[in-house]
Amino acid sequence: MDIWNIIEYAAWGLSAIFGLYIIFDWIKVDSTYSDEELMSSREGELEAMTEDHTL
Amino acid sequence: MSETDITSKTMDGMGPGGTKIGLARVLGPAHVWGLGVGIVLVGEYMGWNFSVGKGGAYAALLACWFAGILYSCVAMIDSEVTSTVAAAGGQYTQAKHIVGPLMAFNVGLYLVFAYTMLEAANAITFGFLIDTVAGMTGHEGLDERPFIILAIMFLAWLNYRGVLATLTFSLIITAFAFVSIIVLFLSTTVFLGESPLRHTELMTDLPYGWLGVLAAMHFGLWYYLGIEGTCQAAEEVRSPARSLPFGTLAGIMTLLIAASLTWYVCVGLMPWEYLGQAGVPLFDAARMTGSMGLMVLLGIGTMFATLASANGCINDASRAWFAMGRDHYLPDWFGAVHPRFQTPYRAIIFLVPIALIFALGAPLDQVITFSILSGLLEYTFMPLNVILFRRKWPLNTIKRGYEHPFHPIPAIVLLTLCGITFFAVFLGYGSQLVAMLSFYIVVSLWFHFWRYRFVRRAAQFTMPWPRPQGY
Amino acid sequence: MADYIPPVQSKFGQMIDVIVLLALAIGALYMPLWLGLAGSAHTSNVPDNPTWESLGQNATMVEKWNQLGYTEAAEAAELITARFDYSFSILSLLVMIVVVVGYYAIILRFSEKEYRDVISEKFGDR
Repeated sequence: MDIWNIIEYAAWGLSAIFGLYIIFDWIKVDSTYSDEELMSSREGELEAMTEDHTL
Repeated sequence: MSETDITSKTMDGMGPGGTKIGLARVLGPAHVWGLGVGIVLVGEYMGWNFSVGKGGAYAALLACWFAGILYSCVAMIDSEVTSTVAAAGGQYTQAKHIVGPLMAFNVGLYLVFAYTMLEAANAITFGFLIDTVAGMTGHEGLDERPFIILAIMFLAWLNYRGVLATLTFSLIITAFAFVSIIVLFLSTTVFLGESPLRHTELMTDLPYGWLGVLAAMHFGLWYYLGIEGTCQAAEEVRSPARSLPFGTLAGIMTLLIAASLTWYVCVGLMPWEYLGQAGVPLFDAARMTGSMGLMVLLGIGTMFATLASANGCINDASRAWFAMGRDHYLPDWFGAVHPRFQTPYRAIIFLVPIALIFALGAPLDQVITFSILSGLLEYTFMPLNVILFRRKWPLNTIKRGYEHPFHPIPAIVLLTLCGITFFAVFLGYGSQLVAMLSFYIVVSLWFHFWRYRFVRRAAQFTMPWPRPQGY
Repeated sequence: MADYIPPVQSKFGQMIDVIVLLALAIGALYMPLWLGLAGSAHTSNVPDNPTWESLGQNATMVEKWNQLGYTEAAEAAELITARFDYSFSILSLLVMIVVVVGYYAIILRFSEKEYRDVISEKFGDR
């Protein structure tokens, strides 16, 4: 058991932590907000507000 | 319907009205540069040198320049179209407005697969590097899997948490990797006293003749593959009409410099037969100079380059997947934005296991070939795209953030070079090419005859442009 | 023209669609491997008892090979003599050209049809 074995376990552990963080946050968000609100993003928002496309 | 009110609060997909939670608009031109160059620079650290193997040292240089022309055309064309079509999804959104839905679906898939495969390849290389370092300290039989998984999970987490931190991270490590190449070049030519470069003695004639130059174009793409990814940030850049052309064109210039320097240093230090199959050529080059400092620098540079690339790939692939979900090209479930971090979080989550499957299960050269081919199909789409764009909306009909010069010469040059590259891929990888095209043909039929029924027709055309000419 | 109202897809249907797409992608990735067509053809012509001279290597090249860890000519001989096989048949080239051009032709044709619908719904019929 040398330093590299420990690093291997650390890598497994960190991967799990990042993965679990994402999954927990995902579940939390999906249960807190309605799908309608989460999926309300529409394309072309900026275009309509800041760019005038007619010359 | 031609009098559509784009600020309507009730109409779906026609402007700001419906959006409660959207992507964060926080990026500047430097982030665009970091995203574009970050994805690509890893190509300088590994991969480009296979073009040396396919045609010899001079062939690799010619491929580097021809591919440089190809990508300069890509960057110019892309800058013009994307400075006008500023939305997540980049080329996908361009195709949707300019060519048509089926083309857009295909382009969206090119993007997702090119980037996800490249991400997988980067993670594999990252694991290989850790293994190499462990080997140098005397540890045999390291398990690479936890490091591959860690790289993907960490970057997915970073992407999940917000785009500003993600691309600032990319910007910093990309700048480091770029500076490393400059330092290596300056050290070998100026600072190390007597230069270790031996071009006169090491250069040979073209081992395959001119056919080898053509064949080298296949991997010549690797010097620049992915620079077009800057477009994916369009919806998150503060002023896309200016930042995107600036970041993209600065990016391609950076890469032209990096590619030439890399070629020059590497062929001056190694016989082409070795270089043509080396795994990490710039690291090898640093090793050949005999300087410990350079070795460490280029080792870290290689590692940063793989991470920056994988990072940009997650960013871009998820934007493309998200945009397709938002338009119902894919299940609309993917079109969700995180209320706090303002990222397309469901697309990011979904692509993690996909990347893991490719990184842990598929052989590296297959993954890379699939990535290159998806890129090539995308570049072939671009000239068609810009020609139709100029025809349907001539210069005086809508405002463009950037107008590329000499139209239609760049489009024709790009189309010709793509044709040559198809031939180069055909030399040796013809069966993959046909397998992949069969995939896209089957998927296209699936989309046209089945999936497209779930897409609203007018709502996907979101740009406040006049009616295209000729329709 | 009346606006097109798309049907609502069930959650289950959405999942099936994603799975179909992924299965096709993974199939395309592994198909050349299963058929044994992956990778390009190599030839290698190593002479008997290779020396640096017979491999055409000059003094500088030999020095670099040594530095890279190849101390004997025989170790590097395989690498030095390896060559790709670029021979191909005109027939397979023609097949490839037909497939590539055909692919873009199909897409552009179908896209154009769909695009006309989009434009006429968005801007109204002429």
